[in-house]
Amino acid sequence: MAGEDRHQGPHTIEFHDVTVAYGRRPVLWNIDLAIDAPGLFAIIGPNGAGKSTLLKAALGLVPLAGGTVTFFGKPFADVRRRIGYVPQRETVDWDFPVSVMDVVLMGTYPRLGWFRRPGPAERDCARACLGRVGLADVADRQIGRLSGGQQQRVFLARALAQQADVYFLDEPLAGVDARSQDQIFRVLSELRGEGRLVVVVHHDLRTAAEWFDGVALVDMRLVASGPTASVLTSDNLRRTYAGPLDVLDEIGLAVEQARRTR
Amino acid sequence: MTIPYNTLVVAAGVAAVGFAAGVVGSLGVLRKRALAGDAAAHATLAGVATAFLVSGRRDLPVLLAGGLASALLSLGGLVLIRRFTKTRDDAATAIVLGVSFGIGIALLSGITARGIPGGGGLEQFLLGHTAALTAADAALLAGVSIAALAAVWLGLKEATLVAFDPAFAAASGWPVAVVDYCLVALVAVMVVVGLPAAGAVLVTALVVIPPVAARLWTDRVGPMLLVSGCIGLVAAVAGVVASGLVPRLATGPMIVLTAAAIFFVSLLFAPRRGWLAKRLGPRFPLTVE
Repeated sequence: MAGEDRHQGPHTIEFHDVTVAYGRRPVLWNIDLAIDAPGLFAIIGPNGAGKSTLLKAALGLVPLAGGTVTFFGKPFADVRRRIGYVPQRETVDWDFPVSVMDVVLMGTYPRLGWFRRPGPAERDCARACLGRVGLADVADRQIGRLSGGQQQRVFLARALAQQADVYFLDEPLAGVDARSQDQIFRVLSELRGEGRLVVVVHHDLRTAAEWFDGVALVDMRLVASGPTASVLTSDNLRRTYAGPLDVLDEIGLAVEQARRTR
Repeated sequence: MTIPYNTLVVAAGVAAVGFAAGVVGSLGVLRKRALAGDAAAHATLAGVATAFLVSGRRDLPVLLAGGLASALLSLGGLVLIRRFTKTRDDAATAIVLGVSFGIGIALLSGITARGIPGGGGLEQFLLGHTAALTAADAALLAGVSIAALAAVWLGLKEATLVAFDPAFAAASGWPVAVVDYCLVALVAVMVVVGLPAAGAVLVTALVVIPPVAARLWTDRVGPMLLVSGCIGLVAAVAGVVASGLVPRLATGPMIVLTAAAIFFVSLLFAPRRGWLAKRLGPRFPLTVE
């Protein structure tokens, strides 16, 4: 981000010429992006721009068609334990028969390794993480009996239990109530204060300008990246959101709004 | 009336199978692999018939080994179809199920038509018939069931993680595909040892109905496994008893009907999730602090 000149050694995360394709359809082209800890960094772009894919590519969840991603100068597999992940909330079945505590404990599994069960130390860690997101009193509840914002905070607590240095969050504020949003941002700011890097796939430009130190604008390719104030210019935003499809979307929205006001 | 010793031993063995099938089946259902289990079950018949043709005898261990081989082969085929074609999951499963079951039936009817000695009893693997089992057979079934339970106990943490959130599991370093293969293979093993009791057509019921019924009674994985195991046990024993009382009655249908009855009762009377609880009790308030 800012002050690349004073930067020493490898970047916290470095995307080098990353290209990703689903089948033959390319979704990300030649992404070059370096992000450094500490900070709150947002990846922003229109629907279908490949934001989540960029994140999954970094985590080795989708194969790269070209390029490399490194963390602290090393491939992901070597530093996996230092990376925490919050998937999109809709990717799991919330009717699954597990308690809030069970889910948060999953963050400690990599430390435990094969077959070892969580013990008192892991439970204490999980309880502390739940406390940080304000959910200590629902630890024993089945996860389906939570609001959307609470579910999102459970996922955040699980990531905290990973005790990572870099966090990836995929749309952590989608469909989240105001109280949960504040709590989530507070925790993310704390993580930055502890010297960690938090990378968030985000959709809301207003909160982005307010909360994030750095931003990357993505629309299949990298449109711009850097400190928030210098990236979120109207020119950059127009370039990011002005694909032919989005023009149609805007017309659609305008029509819908007109219908509503009538 | 006194119950013959052999019937008791067989009942105990099949009870172990029912319990283990319910436990292993729970993990399969939670990972949404119920249909794969069904395909594996239908595929067992071809292996059983082939094992009989090759060995020329009706030894249960040999026949079941054959059944397991063809079940795993069909699951491998399923993986290949999914990887190399654009066939959807449900269609791929239906294809594998249909083809492998067709081969099994063709072999079986060939054996019957040619009147190969000893081949007459093979239909017991179609619908299940426990009256023909020996004490040694029952011991084998119980042994495998206990081993399967041990495997579940060992890998419960990993299986639950992968079933709940495979993306998170993969990102935090777990080999999701390996866990999946082990899980489905375990389901295949239970389907195979369930064959003598429930038969290839109905054994899935033993792996699927108890977990779905158990889910209605509890919100936690551990208790769900136990409840599901108990339902499977009750259904299996009911099948054996019926098969022992009525000569030539197939066990499979009795097992399925008992399990279905328990499922129906659960659907009506389970706390919170049952129909009655939803109808009478106050709807559980969705807590938003």
